[in-house]
Amino acid sequence: MKILIIEDEKGLRESIEEYFTEAGNICETASSYQEAMAKVNIYSYDCILLDITLPGGSGIEILKYLKKNNNTDGVLIISAKNSLDDRLEGLDLGADDYLVKPFHLSELRARVTAIIRRKTFNGNNQLIFNEVNIDLQAKTVKVNDQSVKLTRKEYALLLYFLANKGKVVSKNAIAEHLWGDGMDLANNFDFIYSHIKNLRKKLIEAGSNDYIQAAYGMGYKFTS
Amino acid sequence: MKLITRYNRVNLLTTIVVMLITGFIYYQAISLILIKQLEKNLQVEEDEIFEYVDLNHHLPQVFKSNDQQITFTEAKPESVKREFINTVYHNFDNPKYAKRHPHRDNDEYETGRGLITSVTVGDKYYKILIVVSTVEAEDLIQIIFGITAGVILLLFITLYVTNRLLLNRLWQPFYDLLKELRLFNITDNKDIPLEKTRIDEFEELNQAIISMSTRVKTDYKELKTFTENASHELLTPIAVINSKLDTLIQTDSFTLHQSKLLSDLYSGVSRLTRLNQSLLLLVKIENRLMESNEHIDLKLHIEDMLIQFEEIFLDKELKVSTDLGEKELITSTYLVDILLNNLLGNAIRHNRAGGEIRIKLTDSLLVIQNTGSTDALKNDEIFTRFHKSSESEGSGLGLTISRQICENLNFTLNYSYQVPYHTFTVNF
Repeated sequence: MKILIIEDEKGLRESIEEYFTEAGNICETASSYQEAMAKVNIYSYDCILLDITLPGGSGIEILKYLKKNNNTDGVLIISAKNSLDDRLEGLDLGADDYLVKPFHLSELRARVTAIIRRKTFNGNNQLIFNEVNIDLQAKTVKVNDQSVKLTRKEYALLLYFLANKGKVVSKNAIAEHLWGDGMDLANNFDFIYSHIKNLRKKLIEAGSNDYIQAAYGMGYKFTS
Repeated sequence: MKLITRYNRVNLLTTIVVMLITGFIYYQAISLILIKQLEKNLQVEEDEIFEYVDLNHHLPQVFKSNDQQITFTEAKPESVKREFINTVYHNFDNPKYAKRHPHRDNDEYETGRGLITSVTVGDKYYKILIVVSTVEAEDLIQIIFGITAGVILLLFITLYVTNRLLLNRLWQPFYDLLKELRLFNITDNKDIPLEKTRIDEFEELNQAIISMSTRVKTDYKELKTFTENASHELLTPIAVINSKLDTLIQTDSFTLHQSKLLSDLYSGVSRLTRLNQSLLLLVKIENRLMESNEHIDLKLHIEDMLIQFEEIFLDKELKVSTDLGEKELITSTYLVDILLNNLLGNAIRHNRAGGEIRIKLTDSLLVIQNTGSTDALKNDEIFTRFHKSSESEGSGLGLTISRQICENLNFTLNYSYQVPYHTFTVNF
């Protein structure tokens, strides 16, 4: 997939770029309004990560420009502004998603993957990874054509892992993804462990390989 | 003590004292004047006697009349000193007198004023005693005194009543102002509505209060803007730290020690993030930036939320019991979510393992009870910013935010403790 990262904060831009860069992915970056406009005019991307506050102009203007020109690139707004109005304005203007800073890279990755999946799999809602087959519409999982019954959280966890294949995903990121703001309630992440253990067990019992590995006690990794 | 009570007390006391003093002086003055008048009469009588003696060279006939008695007694020459005396007046059976003073017994002694003087008739020296009754004068004094006392009493009552009415009216602007000040809310955007008054002092007070409230509000607004800006500015560096951590854990293998350090870093950053978000949220709620009118089925909402927390209940072995009635709210879903999240979150966070949570919803209130520490929390402190128990991992803003939301929605949020339940009640 081809991604454009429009973000003026160097540290963040580089991290995102590094996280997304891997075999089969092309990442480009822009750090200002002008640079971003130049790039979106020439190239087309699967997904554009768009910061709202940019030197030289507003990300909203870029979004408006894209939509005016019937650009079909996916757009994910990453903004420091967590106000309902900004979010609604962004989504009304045709952005595909809205992520508030600060965020985990794995969360960003999951969102971007979801956007690209929606754009590319027109009508086809099958997500296939080796022997694992996921029907995104029906929210069902099959391993080697054998149905696996997952809970809501386990299903979400599986999708999250698949989007972050080969990456170490921290427990914090998993917890925030699954429980959102309610997360600060738990002093430890033991109950994440039980979810992951169950998911792993169900997949293996259905005949899948053991993809989920614990990573140094601070996260998990879905190996491919 | 009310100002008017105090004022009345001082006012009445001084009035009474002044009136007593003036009454005494008045009485003395009138008595003096009347005595002088009597003495003048006595002198006239004396002059008449002298004239008579000069003319006729013998003592005059004594008549019992005009309430006066004259007696002549022979005395040693030059033994009598002329002087006025207080004496008694023996009222002989005098029908005229009796008629005028029917209430008095006849034939009795009354107070009188006398004049002792002397006259020489031929070679005889006589002592003259002229006595008049002072009863009439005293009657007069009494009447005058009575009338005066009446007037004073009337004045007194009039003063009291008018003071009361007037003071109440005069102080009305003050009480109005006081009422407005009680309603003053720093987070409110509307000004204190003050009524015009013609009294300079109150007008000055009004002006002072208007300028004070404006200043306070401006300061508060600046502080809020500062908080908002600071929190916003913090977001980017936090985002950088977060993303760098996410990148760091992709790099190499870590020792157990290193991964422990990284875990701690993660939880530190996530606390910082939540704190920051809470601050921003509080500012937004206070600025009423989150208002909307959505129909919310509160029962359904709470049930959804309980499903969300299911794993956490299981993990902490909490027993949750609910008694949910139907309740519809028309407000912002977002705010209600935050409110429920905070209250329920507290009930979970401050619970003990194997504890209990009870939720009750009726048309007029929502009650969330939880077991936990055995000490009651301090009611006035828990709703203040950054107040939290030492072992709490929270931001210390949860209840502040909850109360602010309730204020915005015109609900009230209260805490109480009854063994073993800590209870938070939202009154709709």
